Amino acid sequence: MESFLYDSAWLIPVLPLLGSAVVGLGLISFNQSTNRLRQINAAVIMTLLGVTVFMAFGLLWSQIQGHPAYNRSFEWAAAGDFHLTMGYIIDPLTAVMLVIVTTVALLVMLYTDGYMAHDAGYVRFYAYLSIFSASMLGLVISPNLVQIYIFWELVGMCSYLLIGFWYDRQAAADACQKAFVTNRVGDFGLLLGILGLYWATGSFEFEVIGDRLELLVSSGALAGGMAALFAILVFLGPVAKSAQFPLHVWLPDAMEGPTPISALIHAATMVAAGVFLVARMYPVFEQIPAAMTLIAWTGAATAFLGASIAITQNDIKKGLAYSTISQLGYMIMAMGAGAYTAGLFHLMTHAYFKAMLFLCSGSVIHGMEAVVGHNPILAQDMRLMGGLRKYMPVTATTFLIGNLAICGIPPFAGFWSKDEILGLSFAANPALWLVGWLTAGITAFYMFRMYFLTFEGEFRGEDKTIRAQLLAAAGEVGGDDGHDDHHDHKPHESPWTMALPLAILAIPSTLIGFVGVPWNNRFEALVHAPGEVVEMAAEAFDRTEFLIMGGSSVGIGLIGLTLASLMYWQKVIDPSAIAAKLPALYQFSLNKWYFDDIYDRVFVKGTRRLARQMLEIDYRVVDGAVNLTGLVTVVTGQGLKYFENGRAQFYALIVFAAVLGFVVVSSIG
Amino acid sequence: MNFDPFPWLTAIILFPIVAGLFIPLIPDKDGKTVRWFALVVGLIDFAAIIYAFYTGYDLNEPGLQLVESYTWIPDLDLKWSLAADGLSMPLIILTGFITTLAIMAAWPVTFKPKLFYFLMLAMYGGQIAVFAVQDMLLFFLVWELELVPVYLILSIWGGKKRLYAATKFILYTAGGSLFILVAALTMAFYGDTVTFDMAAIANKDFGLGLQLLLYAGFLIAYGVKLPIFPLHTWLPDAHGEATAPAHMLLAGILLKMGGYALIRMNAGMLPDAHVKFAPVLVILGIVNIIYAALTSFAQRNLKRKIAYSSISHMGFVLIGMASFTNLGLSGAILQMISHGLIGASLFFMVGATYDRTHTLMLDEMGGVGKQMKKVFAMWTACSLASLALPGMSGFVAELMVFVGFATSDAYSATFRVIVVLLAAVGVILTPIYLLSMLREIFYGEENPELVKSQALVDAEPREVFIIGSLLVPIIAIGLYPKAATQIYEATEAQLTTMLRGHVPALVAVAEPATVTIEPLVAEPAIAPAIDVAPEPTAITVEADVVDESLLVKPSEPLEPSDPDNPQIEF
Repeated sequence: MESFLYDSAWLIPVLPLLGSAVVGLGLISFNQSTNRLRQINAAVIMTLLGVTVFMAFGLLWSQIQGHPAYNRSFEWAAAGDFHLTMGYIIDPLTAVMLVIVTTVALLVMLYTDGYMAHDAGYVRFYAYLSIFSASMLGLVISPNLVQIYIFWELVGMCSYLLIGFWYDRQAAADACQKAFVTNRVGDFGLLLGILGLYWATGSFEFEVIGDRLELLVSSGALAGGMAALFAILVFLGPVAKSAQFPLHVWLPDAMEGPTPISALIHAATMVAAGVFLVARMYPVFEQIPAAMTLIAWTGAATAFLGASIAITQNDIKKGLAYSTISQLGYMIMAMGAGAYTAGLFHLMTHAYFKAMLFLCSGSVIHGMEAVVGHNPILAQDMRLMGGLRKYMPVTATTFLIGNLAICGIPPFAGFWSKDEILGLSFAANPALWLVGWLTAGITAFYMFRMYFLTFEGEFRGEDKTIRAQLLAAAGEVGGDDGHDDHHDHKPHESPWTMALPLAILAIPSTLIGFVGVPWNNRFEALVHAPGEVVEMAAEAFDRTEFLIMGGSSVGIGLIGLTLASLMYWQKVIDPSAIAAKLPALYQFSLNKWYFDDIYDRVFVKGTRRLARQMLEIDYRVVDGAVNLTGLVTVVTGQGLKYFENGRAQFYALIVFAAVLGFVVVSSIG
Repeated sequence: MNFDPFPWLTAIILFPIVAGLFIPLIPDKDGKTVRWFALVVGLIDFAAIIYAFYTGYDLNEPGLQLVESYTWIPDLDLKWSLAADGLSMPLIILTGFITTLAIMAAWPVTFKPKLFYFLMLAMYGGQIAVFAVQDMLLFFLVWELELVPVYLILSIWGGKKRLYAATKFILYTAGGSLFILVAALTMAFYGDTVTFDMAAIANKDFGLGLQLLLYAGFLIAYGVKLPIFPLHTWLPDAHGEATAPAHMLLAGILLKMGGYALIRMNAGMLPDAHVKFAPVLVILGIVNIIYAALTSFAQRNLKRKIAYSSISHMGFVLIGMASFTNLGLSGAILQMISHGLIGASLFFMVGATYDRTHTLMLDEMGGVGKQMKKVFAMWTACSLASLALPGMSGFVAELMVFVGFATSDAYSATFRVIVVLLAAVGVILTPIYLLSMLREIFYGEENPELVKSQALVDAEPREVFIIGSLLVPIIAIGLYPKAATQIYEATEAQLTTMLRGHVPALVAVAEPATVTIEPLVAEPAIAPAIDVAPEPTAITVEADVVDESLLVKPSEPLEPSDPDNPQIEF
């Protein structure tokens, strides 16, 4: 039974691929009848994914029982003595990732049925979801760098298609292109890094590269600087995919996609692929201290950057997006600080609670749309929300659970993982810890700001003046003067297909932290850095240290929480007064540190200008020369015909002149 | 004449042309019978191609197969000699495939249909002949003859500036062909024997100086066709004015003739010059990739945009063939096949879009995705293929070129780093122009003027079928590249071995007498990549199976190692 499970593990990405292929072919050949079947398509796709969920759990169970890592491959491309294999590897890391991806994907699919119920692209959306699941599952079972790169690009393509799902929205059109191109910048580095490492070590396998690189550097055959350069180039891939500074700019814009996508791709799975890749490449990074330091500080900078921007966001999804950036920063920081297990542990807890938070925001938007209509500018703005707890109790409760988890309040999941990261980064470098610790406080503040603005106080959705202001700020004229098709005056709770996934996700968001408690870290026993010997956790556990570290992070979290409640719930402190007092800082955060403006000016406009100049050159110089040759031929031809006048004396004159010319020239020479 | 075994290649070439001659006899007023006739002829010929290679071609045999040779003009030693090896066979299949689809793409052509389909069938045979002939003079003849139908198709069925474009095309290519003639005659009359046979010519020992001259001549001729910067400016004009089927042939097959001839003649017949010229090819390849990608980004005309993207992709062929590695050369060949499919599909989509919008200017489009969902989906698929998305053939080809060049031991490390870095810039630039093109055509609000004035009907089954047929091999190669590479692997390996035998640095490594640690010390970074350096015995082992014509000539002593200059420096 067990060996059968391992032998057929290739089915895990293939089944969802099959589902999307069937539905996709149906869409392109029998569009109308396929669309009419609607939920039958969804049922097929979800059934196929359901099978993979069972397989993933089976594999995880077998890995927990201590089954050795399983590797299977076949020759994919060959030329001369070059052989490239593809295949799959099942080890604890893969098994954990498989469970995360399949469960979140299945719940998101269930949720989608409610969220996209009235959308014309319902079936297409399921097809995309399924092909994304296939690519993501293919990514986590990849045994070598080339295969990772292949699926890495494929998940990027799915992200592109899904961000641009509502392609008639201009913002979505811009966002999907931005996401793809920014990710290609990262992939550029990743590709070069892969090539460099292959050139140096002759292998694409993670551990082989690690071993040979160590040998080469220690023997002096390869300069340490080169090794570091390759490692950093590879790291550019995760920087883009996991939205790390300075390539984070695509993720907030990616929120233009439908909310289930934001939950699945842009919070739980794809963006975590960067962390996963760093984990896979750990044998390489580990021996290059310069790369590790860079990774750690990139993560720390990103964590702080994301949190500092999230404070001032008014769009509920943008706020969550910046919080995702910040949390991914924590994971990357952990990896760089050598806290391999802690980073992956946070990846797991974050996947569940952030997916839930995003799905909650989708539920809120769904409820708001009943009041303000299908306009993202109105439906997603927290200034129009407030008091939603009364109308949407399930959503409010689950959002609160997610909030407590992300803020690191015990015993919720986020506490254990974040505490482990902070503790280990303190050991690596206290400065890293300080950044992480401060960020934890800001996190609590902005997350509860969101919670209070959305769910507490009075409902502001009917306020015409705020609506008009928002529309004016977005540059839309007219507003909602009666052409909306809604009649409700109060938002409503979402249907059960949306509420159920929220309730299910609340369970791991609350409890999953207990698999990694510091005095009995079962997670670490399962997933640990290759070659690392796990010390018996119970012996290493230091109660005082745990209480100090945990206490300080809970403390700053509570401070942030209190501050948020004073400002946005009790209204004791007026936030706008603070903003008015610190206009520079407020604008800096509100404008996302001006990254978009700078990039637009330097890269976007710069490339456009360069391209136009190239085209000018092509048209005027290169093609101009060709046309000039033509012109010269015509002109000289026209001119020469006057020499051909049939008079012998004239020819004799020319011959004479030519001879004279030769004589003069040769005598001078 | 002896018809045993059956002369398949001759039949494949002559059948469409002869069948085309019957077109005027078909009673047909509105062109509906003619197109079925042409399609059936195309399909039969394609089936014959497949059958001939399936039964008569051995994949493990690197040399020429299905050889036919009939004396044509004995005094000139001109022979009607045809054969196929791993280099030409995939391109012949590609030709049959693309041309048949192009006939199907020409369904809406109603202006002078009889002439049009006759020319298409003539092209069919002519193009295959270019890939199959093994006689230099004959090669020149078919190379020139195949220009005539293209010129006519361009100048009769094209856009407003079609005459300018067609003239430019014919002047460029005919101008280039002059160099072929001169070089071919020189090669034929050089030495003791006068022969036009390609294999015999390859065996001749030209001096290095003459080789360089000949090489330069061929490079200009084939550089026009591929095209190589700065000889490319005919392509945007020709493409800008051509109709969809002509596009498919231009991008799908005609450009490949340049690459094919570069590999067969420049690299295969003039290896010493190839070694000297290789860095130039690499640099031209880089220029092609970056320069054409940028100009494509700035272009506002859809056809010209895609035309420039073709130029950009051909840069990888140049880099691959100059890498002196199995992987690089294999990638270059795969890139030709892959671009044949992808380029044809993109240009078909351009035509399909133009049929609906009646404009090619991006500024006049916008938001048409809402009404043309299938066209939108097909465009997206083809663009993703073109930007080398993994899982599609373009990615594999580019990856092979990248890995091949990065691990090439014929160049210094610095040169390789710079080349790979610059070529990889293309990886960033390609999605920029392709995706912003998609955005401008399909995304966003509908352009009210366009929607009002044009009937934007969605794709019909014929169009879906054509794109589907092109995407199947694109994805199949992308998922399992060995399926394509093993077709030509034997020939490619033999060619690479021969070429490597001419690179001084590699010969020095391979020669048992001079094998010391020295080159490795001089270039320590290479040392770990043990498997890229050939085993000392490699050449002798190969000698048993290798076609004599392509081997290191015995008269030419292996050049001694040059300790100061172990690589091709540039």
